[in-house]
Amino acid sequence: MELKEVIGTRRSIRFFDPDRPVEREKIQKMLEAARLASCAVNAQWQRAVVAFRKDLTDEQFNRLKTPVAALNVDLAPVHIHWFNDLSSVNRIKGSRLRELVDVGALAPTHGWSHKFVDDFVYPQILEPFTSSPGYPVHSTFDVGGAVTQALLTGVDEGLGVCLVTLNAQTLRDVFKVPDEWMPLMTILVGYPAESKDGGGQRPRPPFEELYYEGAYGQPFARDPKVVEELKAAGMIQEPATPHNPARIAEIKSLADRYGLPL
Amino acid sequence: MSEASTEQPVELKPLLEYASVQVWMEGLRSHWGGDPEHDDPQRFVIFETFCRRVNRDPDQIVKETTMIKDGQKRIRIKGRNRYAALIDEWQQEIEGSRFERAKWANTVRSFLIHNGVLLQSGLPG
Repeated sequence: MELKEVIGTRRSIRFFDPDRPVEREKIQKMLEAARLASCAVNAQWQRAVVAFRKDLTDEQFNRLKTPVAALNVDLAPVHIHWFNDLSSVNRIKGSRLRELVDVGALAPTHGWSHKFVDDFVYPQILEPFTSSPGYPVHSTFDVGGAVTQALLTGVDEGLGVCLVTLNAQTLRDVFKVPDEWMPLMTILVGYPAESKDGGGQRPRPPFEELYYEGAYGQPFARDPKVVEELKAAGMIQEPATPHNPARIAEIKSLADRYGLPL
Repeated sequence: MSEASTEQPVELKPLLEYASVQVWMEGLRSHWGGDPEHDDPQRFVIFETFCRRVNRDPDQIVKETTMIKDGQKRIRIKGRNRYAALIDEWQQEIEGSRFERAKWANTVRSFLIHNGVLLQSGLPG
């Protein structure tokens, strides 16, 4: 698929086929996509633990199956648990920024040098930043970008994906991650048991309510011609509608198939 | 609850007289359409069986799984976990196929879900 169609086709899939395994190489492709994401100061806070449901022990499985996550954990054959390694900046101490200078990504044209990194960036900006309240927020924003690339790659590979939040302490305990790793979200992965369309593109706020031009209060004007172009490219698709009989029938059928409450 | 053997057995009114059951019916009607008070003759039989098992009326079950805090309705985590476990336990004891057992347990889960208590069952074991 082309990128725009991948973006338009992605849905948060909540009904996976639990009996259809996901190829390991497709999971690797999702991780490879995450690794290439944009990242501030090249700190690489992202970490992930991949759990193939079939390989989880009974104890691990039962701990993950809380009353708010039991079905998610049961249905998705693969779970990718994402973490923010908050120790990253102070461990690498600017060394990855120096790499960026070496390869020409950061150049003197923009004021960058090894000396600037060593004398100023790490000791005066990054190291103090790791103690500020904004540090987990900014670094998590970065991990979010990586996770998005993994999600979209999964869609491109024909998989269903869904981001969910599981219990943070349970994730720490079950997967024995270092204390500095902050649990974030989990991508559930599997082949969709529901239709690819999933009842249509999910409702979103009006474009003009989200984006502004110049300053807050002046909506970024939405050009209808661009909208048409994106419809043709598959990025903007048919919207989901309330009480859609076909969607209701589909969910009832899935509930019947998997023995779920209505 | 079922373990409190010294309690008097709960006296149940017709289920539709309970506010929480009316909320349940309205939830089913608005979400799925149809006539939930009549479209599944087993629904109330199953739910009443569970109420008697845990010795609680429907409104008490909702009261034990939710609370009002700072003027807002909240889920009682311990209450929900307790009822989730009671439903799971009941599901294992019911006779029939795994889908029949799931249907009975899911009837109670549906009651809680439509009363605002998010609850996932997992796949029938």
